[in-house]
Amino acid sequence: MDNFEPVIVAFCCHYCAYTAADMAGSQRLSYPPNVKVIRVPCSGKVDAMHVVKAFEKGADGVYVAGCLEGDCHFKNGNTKAARMVAYVRRYMDEIGIEPDRLEMVTMSAGMGYRFAQVATEITEKIRRMGPSPIHAAIETGKAA
Amino acid sequence: MITAERKPLEELIEYIRPYRRILLVGCNECVTVCAAGGRKEVGLLASGLQMALLKAGASIEVREHTLERQCDPEYVEELVPMLDGVDAVMSMACGCGVQEVARRFKNKPVYPALNTKFMGASERQGVWAERCMGCGNCLLGETGGICPIARCAKQLMNGPCGGSTNGHCEIGDDVDCAWALIWERLKELGQQDRYVEIAPAKDWRAGKGAGPRKIIREDLAE
Amino acid sequence: MNTSNNRVLVIGGGMAGIRTALDLAEAEKNVILVDRAYSIGGLMTQLDRTFPTNNCDLCTLAPNLSEGSRQEHIELVTMTTVTDVKGTKGDFTVQLETAPRFINLDKCTACGECHKKFPEWVRFTPGLDHRAPTCMRYPQATPQAFSIDMAKCTDVKALMESCPAGAINPDDFGSRREVKCASIVFVPGGALFDPSHLDYLGYAAQADVVTSLEYERILSASGPTMGRLIRPSNGQQPKKVAWIQCVGSRGLQKGAGQYCSSACCMFALKEAIVTKERFGDDIETTIFYMDMRTMGKDYERYFLRARDEFGVRFVRSRPHSVLRPAGVDNLVVTYGTDSGPVNVTEEFDIVVLSTGFRVADDVRVLAGKLGLDLNSGGFPTTDGFNPVVTSVPGVYVAGVIEAPKDIPETMVQASAAAIMAAGDLAPAEKVEKTEADQELLPPEFGVVGEEPRVGVFICDCGENIGGVIDAGALADYAGTLPHVAVSRLQGHGCSRESMRQIQQIIVDEKINRVVIGGCSPRTHEAKFQEVIRKAGLNRYLLEIANIRDQVTWVHANRAEGATEKAKDLVRMAVGSVVRSQPLADHSLPMNKDVLVVGGGVAGMTAALQLADHGHKVYLAERSAALGGQAAKIHRTLEGDEVAPLVRDLVARTEAHANIQVITRALIVDHSGLPGMFKTGMQTGRQMFYRQIEHGVTILATGALPNRPAQYLLDECSQVSTQLELQALIAENPETVRTWDNVVMIQCVGSRTADNPNCSRICCQTAVKNALRILEVNPEARIFVLYRDMRTYGFQEEYYQKARQAGVIFARYSAEAPPQVKAVGNMVEVTFNDPVLGREITVNADRLCLSTGLVADEDGNDELAMIFKIPRTADGYFLEDHVKLRPVDLPVPGFFVAGTAHGPKLIRESVAQALAASSRALTMLARDTIDLGARAARVDRDRCAACLVCVRACPFGIPYINADGYSEIDPAKCHGCGVCASVCPAKAIQLMQFEDDRIMAKLEELFERSIA
Repeated sequence: MDNFEPVIVAFCCHYCAYTAADMAGSQRLSYPPNVKVIRVPCSGKVDAMHVVKAFEKGADGVYVAGCLEGDCHFKNGNTKAARMVAYVRRYMDEIGIEPDRLEMVTMSAGMGYRFAQVATEITEKIRRMGPSPIHAAIETGKAA
Repeated sequence: MITAERKPLEELIEYIRPYRRILLVGCNECVTVCAAGGRKEVGLLASGLQMALLKAGASIEVREHTLERQCDPEYVEELVPMLDGVDAVMSMACGCGVQEVARRFKNKPVYPALNTKFMGASERQGVWAERCMGCGNCLLGETGGICPIARCAKQLMNGPCGGSTNGHCEIGDDVDCAWALIWERLKELGQQDRYVEIAPAKDWRAGKGAGPRKIIREDLAE
Repeated sequence: MNTSNNRVLVIGGGMAGIRTALDLAEAEKNVILVDRAYSIGGLMTQLDRTFPTNNCDLCTLAPNLSEGSRQEHIELVTMTTVTDVKGTKGDFTVQLETAPRFINLDKCTACGECHKKFPEWVRFTPGLDHRAPTCMRYPQATPQAFSIDMAKCTDVKALMESCPAGAINPDDFGSRREVKCASIVFVPGGALFDPSHLDYLGYAAQADVVTSLEYERILSASGPTMGRLIRPSNGQQPKKVAWIQCVGSRGLQKGAGQYCSSACCMFALKEAIVTKERFGDDIETTIFYMDMRTMGKDYERYFLRARDEFGVRFVRSRPHSVLRPAGVDNLVVTYGTDSGPVNVTEEFDIVVLSTGFRVADDVRVLAGKLGLDLNSGGFPTTDGFNPVVTSVPGVYVAGVIEAPKDIPETMVQASAAAIMAAGDLAPAEKVEKTEADQELLPPEFGVVGEEPRVGVFICDCGENIGGVIDAGALADYAGTLPHVAVSRLQGHGCSRESMRQIQQIIVDEKINRVVIGGCSPRTHEAKFQEVIRKAGLNRYLLEIANIRDQVTWVHANRAEGATEKAKDLVRMAVGSVVRSQPLADHSLPMNKDVLVVGGGVAGMTAALQLADHGHKVYLAERSAALGGQAAKIHRTLEGDEVAPLVRDLVARTEAHANIQVITRALIVDHSGLPGMFKTGMQTGRQMFYRQIEHGVTILATGALPNRPAQYLLDECSQVSTQLELQALIAENPETVRTWDNVVMIQCVGSRTADNPNCSRICCQTAVKNALRILEVNPEARIFVLYRDMRTYGFQEEYYQKARQAGVIFARYSAEAPPQVKAVGNMVEVTFNDPVLGREITVNADRLCLSTGLVADEDGNDELAMIFKIPRTADGYFLEDHVKLRPVDLPVPGFFVAGTAHGPKLIRESVAQALAASSRALTMLARDTIDLGARAARVDRDRCAACLVCVRACPFGIPYINADGYSEIDPAKCHGCGVCASVCPAKAIQLMQFEDDRIMAKLEELFERSIA
């Protein structure tokens, strides 16, 4: 686990966060490549199952990125996503994965800088936390 | 509908720790509706169990299957081909389902993943509340459609106790006093006189008082 | 592209021009859209957020319009001015002059290399706000926002070499051309007042005095300060911000217009709210105003929120000066208030001048070339009952050029102008389009059950991708992945040549799934879907790995990480596309008939328009006769008689061969889908039931005159409403001549706790009736007791006229309303005069109450339930998008017109009715109802009928059907996927975003990472 490079999944809604990610691109704002975006039509589409499976596969961090409050293209998918994230964080605690590895963030389509900033901050945070216990266990299992 | 909640993960892990391979069985009826044991919860629990064990340096294979209804033997029969090589079964149904699976597969340990809670109704998305205790002798006709047995903490039959304050039960402000509700409802119906009638002591033999119960429909029973 | 003269010329590419052009194109009319700028978008693209939703709204503008239809019908001509116009309606000849762009748009991929290397020579102004180009869903049709400033360029060769696509053309000398058209929509928009010469406001001298648009840019996430609110003078965060209203409006400063600019009050409120939202208690916001003019739909609530929730401070005053005395860091604002004769001084960090609209000088010149009559402000004069009709037949206006206004009204007029302009076109020969399409598109291959054969095409996009990662190596890597049959480097995948090659390879190699490694699916998915469809593949067998916008553009300094991430994304895309299945675009045949509910001015106007365009219209009216509320109004503020308008509309409606009028009609049931509705009604005295089949519905059910039991109304015979007063003036002037004193009270039953919104029409009604009384009885003394005079736009001139004529306007506050008492046959009105600072009692011969309009609660409630249309808190129908889709209702196929939407004037109702019919026409032009493929699908065997989806759906689409499982109508599904996410039985899948595809992406991602 030297030179640990976390793998982070970002579920991004098409209308705001994914657009903000593209915007970060057109403004050439740099952020760490550790973040891999999976596009969904709405953050409310992100199933607890997708998040849990990401950790099971070995994700070190996951975040769900939706529109700003009140801005959801589908009225309130983002608030539903926030509730889902809170629920899964409690479950992670039961499993024994630090809940802080999962976050809900919001941004508007125009906030390229915020996308880059969030991606950077979360990557740095996860880097400090080290590999997720599941990731570590998978590596150990492989080594054994 | 029967409602249930998942047991703490820790407790479930203790059950399955000795095994290499388990079958996790959901039910597509009540426990799906109350988001405790449907296909989605089966998937989430399977993942959670595997991760928790992996973290502890162990590993387990969790097979997942969700039955249409776990409290009917014909549906339970579907599990037969899936049990090959499985050390134990964990059921995500209510107590009825768990027992039905245990009855069918006598040589496999069967564990409950849920705590079965009560017969209730859905107040709104994500909220269920107790409504019936299966007393076997329904008196909702006398009480304005609100059950004092299921919804009064003391199961009082003749009006509220002294702990009723502003429509709330003394056990907590988030609990309505059933008798306050009954009174409001009787007033709406213009049936206040029903409230004055003294209900006789309840015969609990129609309920659990007479031991395990059974219903037999002669026309259907074979 | 049709080059005949049977098309519409739209001059101006702002929001109005775009809306007009889109409406026309969708209705299959040909348009030539001319804009002076090098990319379209106009003023709105510079706004950070828009009121009253405070959303960033551009993503909702672009309708679901296929690129094909747009390309087919709109010719976009940028960097172009109109130099001459000749001819008449049906046959105009227009001279266009195009400035050189020096970029060949056919070749340009908007990679930005030229701009990166030579920022001085290349102009890139995506409306200052990056959202503008990216939110446009069809960027290829809104020219990428690059152009070359040749005057600055010192090394043409180097510049040309910087372009990987070879798109730079130094030999572009611009061009002139002549075009012919049948009608013209003139939508140049407004310019903003320049306050530089008003030295007492300090704009020219002080960096911290900014205009409202400049402040908007400071707030904007992609503005010059990246959204940090700082003082321009010293870069520090301000503590106190002030707004000064009516700068350049309401005739107070040198060079200002006489009119009210209508939008600035809301604009200032929005800026103040956004400021408070960001900084809360750390910042103070103060608005200096004359009258708060929040007369739009639900705008009053917005004002109240600003005041009560956000703590924005309001000072009714016109500041005397904004100065920065020597040695003082802050701006010192000096202003007077009602409370005393002494001026107050107060320091602020930033002062925002709410500058109004004006007509730009060159626009005035162009208006002259069009032959338009102009008013004193330089705005074209328009028809009293149709604001888009100018003095020149065949030339229409919309938006700010008609009169200062905000975005929703601009959108309404833009649609209205579209249908008016379309009415001047000769009927187009019906092209058998479907057959032509079938010839172009080969039948789709069957892929179900076939082993996946994935074709991966990696773009290098010039240096954009290739300059950071080894795109060739990436293509080689993709070739090693399971199921990948072909993987190749494709250069610029979106170039015409590449797309042709991709098509060929799909056919030759029997490819049945495609992955493009290139730029964002947001901008290019539709294009590549088209490519694979032309090659015979279902358009949904495609995944795009966004290796440009989300890899090479953002990880340029980490080549290794970027390469690995690009591999991850390509592998994820392959894993996902393998699981993709062909999907059908849902489509249904379109019923081309129309149901209009409500037979007032709005309903009849809409019915006549659509009937004129050849559609069968059923006009259902609840009462026994057509006419509605307008029949009760005599004249407008401008003096036009209303009765002839109504008479003419009724006569034409009843005589029209395509219109069937159904009076005494009561809507009782409704079913079906957009494009094929069925509505049942009971009709006539006998209440016979009949059912009507129709494709679209226009709700024009009107509003009702309010009649609150206040101020002795219905108790004292000397008290009446304005509506009764105007009838009395017209019918019984003798009585009016006997009056000495008349008092009018504004906001009776409006802007109250029960009915918080402004009724919009009452201020101008009071001014109108006051002027009418003076015409009949010049000796009468008239007092208008008001809270804010909301004579927006050109109404302001009549307000000033009334004041000059001696009408006394006295302000009262909601907390201290006037007191009234019946004394004999007089009414004693007591109020506090803020100017004199004391109570005044008037013995009035007549007390007249401005009672405004209220929604028809019962009627609307019933219709809202039957049609499932949401309503506002005060009972009006709620449009789909208050800003950009003001006449489209949230249920597709439903449109709203007139006062059923909110209180408005007759001409505003007419504009809205025209807009509703224009929007309806865009739907009716289609032969099929195209519903896309992204919809939720229920697996009935898994469904537990738990109702979770029914309750979770933001749009109320799922229901438990008679067979006992959840049914989701793909025609109504909006495709958000919330139901799929929450379903506890995992019985719902969202097409294109199925669980197995998301899981596959996760699998593939961690395949390597953890390996």
